[in-house]
Amino acid sequence: MNCSPNPGVSPLAAPEALHPSLWRASQLARSGTRCVDTGHAALSTQLPGGGWPVGTLVELLQQQPGIGEMRLLRPALQACAERRIVLLQPPHPPQALALAALGLAPSQLLWLRTSRSADALWAAEQVLRSGSCGALLFWANHTRGESLRRLHLAAQAGETLFFMLRPLIAAQDASPAPLRLGLRPAAGGMQIDFVKRRGPQRDAPLFLPLDLPITSSLVQRHAFVDRTIATPAGARHLQPQLVQ
Amino acid sequence: MVLEHDRVLAVSPAARVAGIRPGMRRGGALMLMPDARLVERNPAREAEALDAVALAMLQFTPQVALLEEATLLLDIGASLRLFGGIRALCVRVQASLRALGFSGALSCAPTARAAWLLARSGAVRIAHDPGPGAGARSSARAGRRCGRVLRMATLERRLDRLPVALLPPARPYMSWFEGIGCDTLGELRRLPRPGLQRRCGRELLDMLDAAYGLCPELFEWVTPPEQFRARLELFDRIEQAELLLAGAHHLVLQLVGWLCARQLAVERFTLLMEHERGRVAMPPTALEVALAEPSWRDEHLVRLLKERLARQELPAPVIGLGLEARQVREMAPPSESLFPEPGGSEEDRMRMLELLVARLGPENVLQALPQADYRPEVANEWVPVQEGRGGARMDARLPPDVGSLPRPSWLLAKPIALLMRNHRPFYGSPLKVASTPERIEAGWWSETQTRDYFIAEGQDHTLYWIYRERIVGAGEDAEPRWYLHGLFG
Repeated sequence: MNCSPNPGVSPLAAPEALHPSLWRASQLARSGTRCVDTGHAALSTQLPGGGWPVGTLVELLQQQPGIGEMRLLRPALQACAERRIVLLQPPHPPQALALAALGLAPSQLLWLRTSRSADALWAAEQVLRSGSCGALLFWANHTRGESLRRLHLAAQAGETLFFMLRPLIAAQDASPAPLRLGLRPAAGGMQIDFVKRRGPQRDAPLFLPLDLPITSSLVQRHAFVDRTIATPAGARHLQPQLVQ
Repeated sequence: MVLEHDRVLAVSPAARVAGIRPGMRRGGALMLMPDARLVERNPAREAEALDAVALAMLQFTPQVALLEEATLLLDIGASLRLFGGIRALCVRVQASLRALGFSGALSCAPTARAAWLLARSGAVRIAHDPGPGAGARSSARAGRRCGRVLRMATLERRLDRLPVALLPPARPYMSWFEGIGCDTLGELRRLPRPGLQRRCGRELLDMLDAAYGLCPELFEWVTPPEQFRARLELFDRIEQAELLLAGAHHLVLQLVGWLCARQLAVERFTLLMEHERGRVAMPPTALEVALAEPSWRDEHLVRLLKERLARQELPAPVIGLGLEARQVREMAPPSESLFPEPGGSEEDRMRMLELLVARLGPENVLQALPQADYRPEVANEWVPVQEGRGGARMDARLPPDVGSLPRPSWLLAKPIALLMRNHRPFYGSPLKVASTPERIEAGWWSETQTRDYFIAEGQDHTLYWIYRERIVGAGEDAEPRWYLHGLFG
C-alpha cells in the first residue's frame, strides 16, 4: 500500500499509477525511451509513447519496396538528420535527388552495400554500437530470431532510430521487436496494420494519406475515371507475371 | 625446456610435473622425460624480446630503462593520474605484457632499486614458468603478487626480509655470508659498514643505499628509434590470415609504445607478411592500412587489422610478420567537452566509417555526390566515402528547385522493359499514368537519352516511375517501348 500514490484508491483500480512500465491491455503503454514524433498525427496517437521509439528495433513489414516507406519515415528522418542516416542494403540504388526532396541532405546519407547477410548484420551492429548515426534503415530478407535479438540489444545501447524493413511474410514469425507495423499501399496513401505494439490489439488498418513531396504541375490533381479494359475476359486467363 | 651450458634453465609446467628442476644436467632431464623438447638459450633473441617489451612499455611512461638480469624499469611517478591510479596502471601493464606473449613479475616501490629487488625476488619464485617467447622475464617498477609497496616504512620492512643473494655484488661472497649467519638484507645492514666495504667492495653498499633510498640513482633511459620498423618471427607456418592477428597485435603494441614516446599519431602503416623461402622466393605480402583520422590507440588499430586480415588471402604460408609506420604526424589529443554530444565526436564517426570500410571494402561504403546532369542515372552518383569531399560542396550540387522534381527514392540499377497489354504498360497489374510527362532529352555527347517520364500507378496503388523511349528505330520495331525506372519509396 505504501507504493500507491493515493492511499484511498486500491492499486488494482489504477495499476498504471504504480509503475511506469505497467499498463492495462486496453491502454497504450508509456514508452520508457525517448520518442521521435512520426509527423503524422493519426499514427502518433496509435503508438506507445506517441512516436517512433529510439534505441529500439522497429520492424516495418512490406510486400515490396517502394510503396511509400520513405515518405512515411520522412518527418522522423528529418528530425534526426543532423547526424548521418545509414541505408543498409536497400533493395535498389537510392536516388540522392529524391531523398533531398524529402529533406535529407546528400552529405548526411550513407549507403552500405554488402555481399553476405552476415556482413550486413555485422555492419548494422557496428552502426548501432557506435551511436554516431541518427537513423539506421536496414533491409533484410531472411533474418533469424537470435540475430534480431542481438540487433535489438545493440540498438538499446544507443540513441539511434532503427528501422528494419522486412518482407510481409515475416509477420508470421516471432520477433523481439516491441513495435511491428505492416505497410500496404492504398489510394493516395498507405494502410498500416498493427502487427505488434505495446497496447490494445487493433485489427482495423489505419489509413495514412501520403503525398508525393513535390509541388510540381506535373502531377495531375484531378481524379481518374477508371475505364474498363476493352477485353477483360482475355486478361483474366493469363497468369499475371512479373516482367524482368 | 630451456638449456644453458647443458644445464636446465627453465622448464614448462609439464616438465615440472615430470620432476625436472632447473639446474639439472641435460642427461638427467632426458632420462626423466625422453621426449622433452630442448631449446638452447639464445641471448640475442632474449635481448630482442626485451627491447620489444621496452618499446611497448613506452606507452605508459617516457622513462623506461633496461636493467641487469632481464629487468625493465618504468618510472611511473608522472603517469599515475593519467592512467587512473596505481592499480589500474598495474593491470594495464600486465595486460599488455600478456598480449605480447610474456609473463613477468611486477613490483613497484618508491625507489628503483627496491622495486628491482622485489621484482627479482618474485621472478626467482616464478622463474620456473617462463613466457612462451624467448624466455625473457621482464619485471617492472610498477605489481604482481610479489609486491606493491608505496610507503618507505613498509618498504624497509619488506626489504629487510629479502635474501642477500638477490644483490649481484654479494653473490661472490655468499659462502662467507652463510658462514656468519647473515641471510637477509636486514642482517646485512646491521653489519659494520667499513668492514663490509673492505671485504665486499663499494658496489654492494651503493646498491643497498639506493634500495633504501639513502642515495640518488641514475639510469640510462631507453630512447625510441627515429623510424619504426618491427619484425616478428612466427613459431609456425601460418596459412590462415585470421591467425596472424595475435602476432600483429604484438607489433601494434610496440608501435603504440613508440608513437606515445615520440608524441606521434600514425596515418598509414604497412603489415608485411613474409613467406617461406622455398624453391621460389616470394616477395612478402604487404597489407597497407591508411587511416582517415590519425590514431595512436591499439584497440582501434587491432580492430582494423582484424577486419582487413579476414579479407586477405594468403598466397603461401607466412613465417614472419613485419610492421612499418609509413606516415606519421603530430599527436593531437582530443579535447574533452564539458557536455558531450549525444552522437559522439567526429573521431567516433570516422572510426566507425573506417571499420565499415575495412570489412565491407571501400566500394561498398558510399555517399551521394549528385552531378549536375539531366539524365537520372548520371545525376545519381555515389562515391566511396573515403574520397573525402566536403559536405557543403555536395549539398550545393543539388538543383535549386529540388522539391519540384518528381524523382523516385529507388532508382533501378537497370531499367526494366515493360510488357504491353491492351496498349497499356503492365507490371504485375496494368499501370495507369498519373502525371503529365516530364521530357528528358540530353547526353548527345555520350549516351543520348530521349525519354518521357511518367508517374504511373498500379492497381494496388503503388507508384512507379516509368518512361517511354521517344525515338525508336524505324522499321519493324516502331512501337514505343515502355520501361520501369524507379519506385517511389
